[in-house]
Amino acid sequence: MKTPILTFTLSILLAVAARAELKWEQNTIELHPSAGDKQAVAHFKYENVGKTAVHFKSVKASCGCTATQTQKEVVNPGEKGEVIATFNIGDRTGQQVKTITVQTDDPNPTQATMILTLKANIAQSLEMKPTFVYWTSGEEPKTKKISLKAAKEFPAKDITIKSNSQNFQSKIVPGKPGEWTLEITPKDTSHPMGTALLIQTDYPKEAPKSFYVNAQITNPAPPPMLRTPVQSNAPALKTATPAAIPSPAAR
Amino acid sequence: MKFRAVGEAFVIIALACLPAIGEGFYFRDKVSWQSPIPESELVTVDQARAWGSGAIWVDARPDDEFAADHVPGAFSLNEDRWNELLQQFLPNWSPDKKVVVYCSAQSCNAARDVAKRLRDEAQLKDVFVLKGGWEEWLKKHR
Repeated sequence: MKTPILTFTLSILLAVAARAELKWEQNTIELHPSAGDKQAVAHFKYENVGKTAVHFKSVKASCGCTATQTQKEVVNPGEKGEVIATFNIGDRTGQQVKTITVQTDDPNPTQATMILTLKANIAQSLEMKPTFVYWTSGEEPKTKKISLKAAKEFPAKDITIKSNSQNFQSKIVPGKPGEWTLEITPKDTSHPMGTALLIQTDYPKEAPKSFYVNAQITNPAPPPMLRTPVQSNAPALKTATPAAIPSPAAR
Repeated sequence: MKFRAVGEAFVIIALACLPAIGEGFYFRDKVSWQSPIPESELVTVDQARAWGSGAIWVDARPDDEFAADHVPGAFSLNEDRWNELLQQFLPNWSPDKKVVVYCSAQSCNAARDVAKRLRDEAQLKDVFVLKGGWEEWLKKHR
């Protein structure tokens, strides 16, 4: 009777002693990319502090905007390495939280799955509220305002606005230092059309930043009787994006 | 006697809480950072379909996923090319339309983030996130 208990206890002890264990230096990394950075890269360093090799089964990011890379598939005892997570910033702003799920063959379920967190604080250089103003067709062409405020770490002193649309007039009204009001007035609201207005700052001097706001004369709401319960595949209306304004893709 | 029973109950509850507190602390980095989307901001595929032409569909997935397949008539609007895609989307929007934003399991929170930007930055009203996303739409239509 004693022998099976002893064997069982010993096998448990041996299994625990021979465990594989990937020890992570950090499982959360916070990054502060600078204005103009296209990517934020996090290096999650690890070490196999166990006594058996660890195999990576999968490394998956929570979002298509984050690419992951492991340096090796097998981590032998005592070996170190890192999982590199590259987050493509795109046109994102504010705090971004992306997770990377790492699965290994570690027999301990709490160690087999590790969730790494990449936090990126993307500073909003120029706060614009709202970024879109509209009038419905036939509406009185009243001036609409957009407030602009430069962030503390973005010391822009002057901004300019570009619009080639003849149908919209725009004016910058300076306020407190680093604050402006953009006034947009349509000349005519008789038919749907729109424009993108390009705002450029005088900072940084070597590469002034561009921002966009949109103005639109929209279709009037159809009377409820005319609404059809069918998915519309109507072709898109053309936006009158001024030729002189570089599109965001061309930046 | 009563006090002893209460005391014992308290000890048992405290002991039962210990593993939960320990687990919460150990897995503190595995707790979701994203708050769930309020039910009022979600819409089911059937509800959105019932809106017919009163709904405008927005695909928040990356370009390659949109190019592979998407809800018929949907507009691509993701945060990789937000400024450019927003300019293409807005001329098709009108105040009477409800906006239905979807993403897939692969692009996780993209729909919620895009919906939030449409509400907060562009200040559009009636912006909803599709429950179950692209996968749910596929289930009902393929």
